[in-house]
Amino acid sequence: MNQTEALVKRLPNDIGGLPADRIQQTDHQLLPWEKRCHALADVLDFHKIINTEEKRRGVEQLGGEMVGKLTYYERWIVVFAFILFEKGILTPDELAQKMKQVEARNNGQAIT
Amino acid sequence: MATHDHDHEHPKSADEPAPGYYEIMETALRELLIDKKLIGPGEIRRQIEVLDSRTPALGAKVVARAWVDPEFRARLLANGRAVCESDFGISFYDDTQLIVLENTEKIHNVIVCTLCSCYPRPVLGLPPDWYKAKEYRARAVKEPRAVLSEFGTDIPEDVEVRISDSTAMVRYLVLPQRPAGTGNSTEEQLAALVTRDAMIGVVKVNLENRNTL
Repeated sequence: MNQTEALVKRLPNDIGGLPADRIQQTDHQLLPWEKRCHALADVLDFHKIINTEEKRRGVEQLGGEMVGKLTYYERWIVVFAFILFEKGILTPDELAQKMKQVEARNNGQAIT
Repeated sequence: MATHDHDHEHPKSADEPAPGYYEIMETALRELLIDKKLIGPGEIRRQIEVLDSRTPALGAKVVARAWVDPEFRARLLANGRAVCESDFGISFYDDTQLIVLENTEKIHNVIVCTLCSCYPRPVLGLPPDWYKAKEYRARAVKEPRAVLSEFGTDIPEDVEVRISDSTAMVRYLVLPQRPAGTGNSTEEQLAALVTRDAMIGVVKVNLENRNTL
């Protein structure tokens, strides 16, 4: 199998059976925003806006580099944004504007 | 975590680190969805309460009941979700089925999600980080005995190690073997022996392995 064939046959999530290092028996308490992100995933599923399989596929479509470099909940929140754009529920501009507002509010600045 | 009566964020005090890019994205998405009335203003907080209410102690109660009540065990193995709902009032807030896998003298079960991190969250809470990490997902299906030995678990060669790969719709829970020497224990005492990792299948339940959760 040549190298591009391997890329086609194994999407980034499909790692079952690949060689890997020793298991690091790690765990961490979720940060408050990570727990909110998890709750958001469930609520989006309840409302049939984004289901688990769409989320999983969305993570796959982030590609190997983002999957490798972003943390677990960073991947989720980015995927939610992308899927909401795709479905026409939000626009990138709306999100960018809102993020500016949130950041300004966090810095104690007036919201414009 | 302290619960909050309302969903908006407060300005951060000077000694808290500024929220990063992804946290800001989370807040912005949540607020936009609420503004558009696609989700309710209190729903995220309520779901956090549900998540906080799910711990391995719930799964442990189910396992202990199965150890003491053969009729219950038979029903549990036939339909895990329905029995957890009817007998324990455990709500399955996600749209998943639960298949309970019974360990025996001849079969040792282990669960994994090779594609992502599917896990029986309604009965165990959120998975540990190692369950979601590449190493466990990649190797559990290929060299399960080597993986188990890294958890200090050695399964005799004449026992089949069976790996079940979870999906978005189908989740598994391992029903571990009841340890020897517990004939006089109450259901409650038995439940205290059952750990999260035993219900994933990477360890066995034994009397030295008491639940410290």
